[in-house]
Amino acid sequence: MHAHSFSPDTTGLRRGCVLGLAASSTLLGTWEMYWLLSDWGLTAPEVVMLGLFALCFAWISLSFWTAVAGFLELALGGRVPGLRWPDAKEEAAPLNGRTAVVMPIHNEDPASVFANVQATYESLAATGRLDCFDFYVLSDSTRAEAWVAEELAWADLCQRVGGQGRIFYRRRSDNTGKKAGNLADFCERWGRRYDFMVVLDADSIMAGETLVKMARLMELNPRAGILQAPPRCVGKTTLFARLQQFAGRVYGPVVAAGAAAWQLGESNYWGHNAILRVSAFTEHCGLPVLPGQQPFGGHILSHDFVEAALMRRAGYTVWLVPELDGSYEQSPPHLLAYAQRDRRWCQGNLQHLRLVLAGGLHPVSRAHFLMGVMSYVASPLWLLFLLAGLGAALHGRVVDLESSMLDSEGALWLMGVSMAMLLLPKVFGLVLALARREEAERMGGRVRLVLSALAEIGMSTLLAPVMMLFQSHFVFGTLLGYRVSWTSQQRDDEELPWAEAARRHAVHTLAGVVLTAVVLVSSPGLLAWLSPVVVGLLLSIPLSVWTARASLGTWARRHGLFLIPEESDAPPVLTRALELAQRPLAPVEDGLERVLTDPRAHALHLALLESLPGSGAMPLVLASARRKLLEGTPEPLSTQEKTAALLDAETLTQARSRYAVRFGT
Amino acid sequence: MDPVMTPTFFPSSADAREALDAFFESFGFTTDADLSRLSAWVLGTRGQEARDAVELARARMEDWLSGVLGAGLARGGALLSRGRAAFVLCEAARWGADVLTLGPGEVPPELTRALRAAVPVPAPRELPTVMPEQQLVLWPLGELFRRWWRAGEPDVSISR
Repeated sequence: MHAHSFSPDTTGLRRGCVLGLAASSTLLGTWEMYWLLSDWGLTAPEVVMLGLFALCFAWISLSFWTAVAGFLELALGGRVPGLRWPDAKEEAAPLNGRTAVVMPIHNEDPASVFANVQATYESLAATGRLDCFDFYVLSDSTRAEAWVAEELAWADLCQRVGGQGRIFYRRRSDNTGKKAGNLADFCERWGRRYDFMVVLDADSIMAGETLVKMARLMELNPRAGILQAPPRCVGKTTLFARLQQFAGRVYGPVVAAGAAAWQLGESNYWGHNAILRVSAFTEHCGLPVLPGQQPFGGHILSHDFVEAALMRRAGYTVWLVPELDGSYEQSPPHLLAYAQRDRRWCQGNLQHLRLVLAGGLHPVSRAHFLMGVMSYVASPLWLLFLLAGLGAALHGRVVDLESSMLDSEGALWLMGVSMAMLLLPKVFGLVLALARREEAERMGGRVRLVLSALAEIGMSTLLAPVMMLFQSHFVFGTLLGYRVSWTSQQRDDEELPWAEAARRHAVHTLAGVVLTAVVLVSSPGLLAWLSPVVVGLLLSIPLSVWTARASLGTWARRHGLFLIPEESDAPPVLTRALELAQRPLAPVEDGLERVLTDPRAHALHLALLESLPGSGAMPLVLASARRKLLEGTPEPLSTQEKTAALLDAETLTQARSRYAVRFGT
Repeated sequence: MDPVMTPTFFPSSADAREALDAFFESFGFTTDADLSRLSAWVLGTRGQEARDAVELARARMEDWLSGVLGAGLARGGALLSRGRAAFVLCEAARWGADVLTLGPGEVPPELTRALRAAVPVPAPRELPTVMPEQQLVLWPLGELFRRWWRAGEPDVSISR
């Protein structure tokens, strides 16, 4: 172990300041709360309230002081110490290492996936360093339609850009270990060919310059195991997605710089838009299977945090590098898609609770696990805090407590401090954006920038209680043992039907109605305090539908609201990706039929099947598929049978002859 | 006299011709003239059984493909299926059946280039290694205790 051996001299000071200030703030806040609650002695609900408040306040304190650190780092123009950056001469030198750019995919839209790959590839080619990179699309797609469409899109891409022998495509028929297993399979088969590996998500786009810079940083810092480039959300048109993009663009840099400022070489890995040292990753980051059943046992779902912790345990550093721009991803199009993604992440992060005390991990790695847990558990804690507050209000001393709390300067002060801690990080981001004239211009000008920030704060305040209920549901659901299916994420800008929103938000609306009624009956004075929560819940259905509308997002964009520089002056790699994604791609309605009727799809599929054999089809299923295909049984093939047939070259060849005769193709 | 229009071979069975037609159709050849020419190219004046005829056609095509694609692309197995995919993807059948009867040096360079560029190369040669599953003792104190009681295995077992 080499704990701290790569950390800069200021590590202790930085961590001491951020963590010390967060701890002091929490103590002060909790002390103040204790005085507020204990005027007439503490009741049982108040004791619970105090404990919950301490936890929640610790969480917002840490976020706040991290943002302060980020603000100072950015305002002073400093670069996080510890990493060695290239000088001009080193920057001009050729790269020595070889890098694989890998994109694991699972039933994604091939048009969008291969548009992103092509844009990134072309951007890299423009740097003149393409020779040091290879691209791999690592498919775990289970739907035959996605599989066949990916093959065709890959072959087209290779022909279009002359990417043969540089852009590769591999499909696994066995999805063991999900994305982590997919990457492990890559490392075990081709990892030794490469020094570094850039991991992308299906919606990731990276500028060529950024890829080159990341590879060079890895060369210059031989003990660096992972460099994470913070991705920016771009490319969506719904109001919800544009709000996310705007928030990420204005406030995100402060948060990222703050995290990097105190986490230094023990930062976290977010699973994509990062470069990894392949040998270290292969040797030290093979994920264990946790004992027991899901949700806490089995395969590790959120692999990234664990891989970062294992990498650090092995003596390699993990850096979040906010200076790396040119790293992009896409936001979910609406609140429900966002919540669906959160549900997966929630279970994955809660599973990390089991790893907090695992042997040999760096303390900051343990902190990452806890922070990941808190990012979801904070919601039910706030919810319980609210309920405990209501409970306290209903507990015998309703009138006294109400009059004492609402008139109390202390209560107002504490609420003011809490609100300030939540809002100031946004103000920091806004101040920095306003201070950079050019950037502010590209975000619609200073006036619109401020208006956008105010609107975003208002909207996120309204959506926060809905997310709080969603996340509370996910946390309790996970604790009760519900399983999560890790399907692909919705990425298209689809509008949300009213019926769907009503179905999903009915409980939230009802919670708003009940909360309003209870407060009105018990202590009407509390209603003003709870109004942001109540209004958000009561309006959850229309808010969800309206923010999912691309028309509203486009309207806001036309008026210069929530504008990000990537929209007003898009980098070439994004423009290209968008242009490519809009090219029509012949849809594959039925994968098997396409392979049997389209000579291109047939020849290509057989070539890939024979060149890179995977596991074969299940004999019984294949026999059934053959019977239906070759003996002319008029029964339709099941999904499993179609997949089995697609895995067997002989069956396809024989069936193709029949189809060719029948359809003359 | 056009040798394509007037084949000079007499296959022993209609099955052989049918099998050869199916084989070359998978390369994108569709006209009767092309298919007759190709049957003649494979069989010459000999008669063959259907299975032998296809084997012969495969061997001929593999020879042709390895000559045209060059050592780099011809290496690595599945030559016929990769070559056929390239043939179909770049619509080489438009050049007519005659190109297959030409030696590697005589094939039009544009076709050679197009074919080479269209060969699907799904992945480079594998360099197998093992990604060992890491041991994580989830609760080291408990583990110490268990070991003390000689009762335990580590929390996490190797599962692969």
